[in-house]
Amino acid sequence: MNPTLGRWGKLGLGSYFWAIVVFLYTPLVVLLVFSFNNSTIATLPYSGFTTKWYRLAFQNQEMVDAIFLSAKIAILNSIFATALGVVGAVGLSARRVFGRSIITALLMLPLVVPYIVLGIGMLILINQVNVDQSMWVVLAAHMVITVPYTILVVLPRLRTLDESLPEAARDLGSSDVGAFFRITAPLITPAVVSAMIISFIISFDEYAIASFLVPPGEKTFPIFVYGGTKVPEQRPELLAIGSTVIAVSLCVILVAEFGRGWLERRQTGRDSLAVAAE
Amino acid sequence: MAVAEEAPVRPAPTRRAGRRRFVPGKAWLTVPPALYLLLVLIFPIVLLALYSVFLLTNLIGVTNVFSWSAWQEFFPSNPFTWKPWSTESVFWNRFTLSMCVTLIVSLVVTVMAYPLAYFLAFVSERRRYVFLFILLAPFFTSFLLRVLAWQVMLNDSGVINSALWQLGLLQDGQPLEIFGMGIFRTWFSIGLVLGYSWIPFVALPIFVVLENMDRRVIEAAQDLGANRFVTFLRVTLPLSLPGVIAGFVFVLIPTTGEFVTPQLVGGTDTYMFGQAIQDLFIGTAIQWNTGSVLAIWLMAVVVVLIALSSRFLVMDLREGTE
Repeated sequence: MNPTLGRWGKLGLGSYFWAIVVFLYTPLVVLLVFSFNNSTIATLPYSGFTTKWYRLAFQNQEMVDAIFLSAKIAILNSIFATALGVVGAVGLSARRVFGRSIITALLMLPLVVPYIVLGIGMLILINQVNVDQSMWVVLAAHMVITVPYTILVVLPRLRTLDESLPEAARDLGSSDVGAFFRITAPLITPAVVSAMIISFIISFDEYAIASFLVPPGEKTFPIFVYGGTKVPEQRPELLAIGSTVIAVSLCVILVAEFGRGWLERRQTGRDSLAVAAE
Repeated sequence: MAVAEEAPVRPAPTRRAGRRRFVPGKAWLTVPPALYLLLVLIFPIVLLALYSVFLLTNLIGVTNVFSWSAWQEFFPSNPFTWKPWSTESVFWNRFTLSMCVTLIVSLVVTVMAYPLAYFLAFVSERRRYVFLFILLAPFFTSFLLRVLAWQVMLNDSGVINSALWQLGLLQDGQPLEIFGMGIFRTWFSIGLVLGYSWIPFVALPIFVVLENMDRRVIEAAQDLGANRFVTFLRVTLPLSLPGVIAGFVFVLIPTTGEFVTPQLVGGTDTYMFGQAIQDLFIGTAIQWNTGSVLAIWLMAVVVVLIALSSRFLVMDLREGTE
């Protein structure tokens, strides 16, 4: 049945896999466990259960502001970056693209440029055109790093689409734009939603670039967390808020991943029905 | 834009229409994102290059005259007598040290990730995508919060140390040491956290290659008398090398300029190249011209790495194009 491994090999490999999974999840569990610890320092033995850090955390105005600011940037980013990415992906899905390899390389470049170069590059750019550090600059930089991800999510979906569908719409008198919004757009919606979620998550969590571009005094959530790691008194509250954020993001990607699979299966089911009806 | 125009009515799609005529197609839609990246990504890199040769400067009272001086200071004056511990060319030493650490981390992570990919591709059967999801999920939670969790675990009175004290495995109040190295604010903690962050991401390209591998080749090798080990060594491993190289480069590139992890879990002895760049731009010793030299050099190294491995990196994008 499995020609590559014996029984012991399988067992060993399986144990290794699950050991690594434990390793990957341990920090998340530690964060959660010690966010309920009735002590200002996270150390064993455990000092008893409390939820006061959660109460204190959500009363901490600075922290709440930071979360809202990051959420604002991340929402705008997920809209703009995904729009830009969908436009680019539709362009790249054309049969013939002049200079395809160069354009593809350019659009994928942000994936490999070190964040520190992006951060200081942006800093130098705004300095050159006399713009102050602001949240808009952070947004502009986050769009740069998320556009390639949106293209990588949307483009494969566009390629699996039956090209005859929009063509049929055009033959029936629809314009290119009309055919896109009536036919293509609904079919790529699951991928677009995934792209939006991914760009939201990346932006919400991004520290390295933002650290160069936030104006003094203002804090995105990662910048707040970074500052908090230097202040031991804030740590229990940070653990509480961190556990919450991690739990929420795990739920979001769980729903997103399975939701997308479900939607695409449903659509493919419909597609094959349409084919069968012909 | 051209898209808004009515498409010409096409003849039956048996043969591609409009080959000779110029039809402004949807390929033009690549222009807006490409322009955006030219403006916000390429243009700043050009600015950095200008800074590195003093055609631009943030120093007051210094006129912008072309000069290689910042580059000359960066490279060791005589590469043949250069020693890693010499005090001359400080930033170059910083670079070589960081590069060594990065290479070791990438190598270890890739070796550790391979069995994960192998397990997913060959053992986990139908549930492979669920397992893959389990492996990748932590990657989508906040990086900073995971590093914070490591701080909580690794510090001198942290969870690991205090657990060992409680269990009596370590003398009370004495932090754990591995190979004579503390576990926090050392190269050990940096390597651990970097490895932790990247393992799932490295396993992914290896998994993709293994999964798409033609199983008949493996069966053929065994029919021809190779045992499992030889089959792996001479068939599976060589065929999966593109994924291995892609995974290796996936860690290498982002960790080369890493400055957040060493700031959070590193100490004074573990000052890395990325931190040096950061300090030259917004830190204590601001000097944008020198900083630009370091940044451009980092970019150059990354470009060379990509050029060497591009064959393996762009594979998934070319796929499906005619």
